Amino acid sequence: MGYSTMDHFLLVLFSMVAAFLPRLIPLRIFATRKIPNWFNEWMKYVPVSLFTALVVKDMFMNTSNYTFVGASNVAKIIAAIIVIGVAYKTRSMGLSVVVGLVAVMILSMFVAV
Amino acid sequence: MKKEEPRWVEVLRVALPLCLSYVPIGLACGILLNKAGFNAILTLLVSLLVFSGGAQFLIASMLVTNAPIHTIVLMLFFLELRYALLGSSLSQYLRGTSRKFLYIFAMHMNDENYAVNYLKFATDKEWKPSDALMVEHYSLLFWSVANLIGSFIGSLIEINLSIVDFALTAMFLYMIIMQVKNKLTILVSLLSAIVAIVAMCLLKSTMGLIIATLIASLVGFAVEDYLVKHGHERGFLLGKIKHHSKGRRVSVPKSDSEGE
Repeated sequence: MGYSTMDHFLLVLFSMVAAFLPRLIPLRIFATRKIPNWFNEWMKYVPVSLFTALVVKDMFMNTSNYTFVGASNVAKIIAAIIVIGVAYKTRSMGLSVVVGLVAVMILSMFVAV
Repeated sequence: MKKEEPRWVEVLRVALPLCLSYVPIGLACGILLNKAGFNAILTLLVSLLVFSGGAQFLIASMLVTNAPIHTIVLMLFFLELRYALLGSSLSQYLRGTSRKFLYIFAMHMNDENYAVNYLKFATDKEWKPSDALMVEHYSLLFWSVANLIGSFIGSLIEINLSIVDFALTAMFLYMIIMQVKNKLTILVSLLSAIVAIVAMCLLKSTMGLIIATLIASLVGFAVEDYLVKHGHERGFLLGKIKHHSKGRRVSVPKSDSEGE
């Protein structure tokens, strides 16, 4: 690991700014004027695109050399299907995360992670 | 409604299901941050200052894969962009509050306390901005303490990182499911998956994630715009997908919950 505690501290500070600006600016601006429509329409699709990309990275990519690994992470794929089912049925984040973790732990004893 | 109850108890009652749902995720997040090299103080600090499960999981998992700091911060910015939408939809209820209040409120807003507050503002006339801020602080308290405890647990036990890392994936899968409102969303998601894989293989970096996010969200925006302008609002792609259960539950499993 190439980062020192100081690097981590700076990362936390930068992260704070990156997290704070998107929360504050609309609250400030749109407290007095209307939200432009195109912005709302575009924002509708940002989260789902980003979340999918991140999920795909964890499940189908080898991040040490950025190669596509296909369906070799069997445990994660099965666990992901379980999580989707739990999320759809219960709409509970806590339950989805915990069930997903337990599923991947159990599955990893039998198949590749 | 019992009116004699002090306000903070009433607000706590509203916030408690949310706060309790933060405990397992906060613990997992603290463990993961510990494994990514964050000490307890940094973990507490990031929980207080960033206060976003998704962002903190992201930091941890990107640090583990040795991503450069500027990429992590840029990813985080895109991840947190969704708060722009949340913030703008709450802003109508926060008119007339001071600038300082708005800063603090924005700082401590996240997906879940937003959902609680939005619902309360929309349905409860008595719900004041100060109550909403209190909900935020209750959730912040539970989240930070859970992270801190997770950090200590992480320093005591050995865990296979790729397994704990799945907490992030599970959380994002949950968030994707919550976002799916029509078939176009599913298409955008598939497009993002394909672009992400191709772009990451080509660029050999996490920049591929940002490219996939931009391309897929802009395509979704453009397709919806086209369909709406050509009068296909209730067509195949944009027709709403109905969900059987009403309202949102915070952490109560289906079998235990009583009539809501």
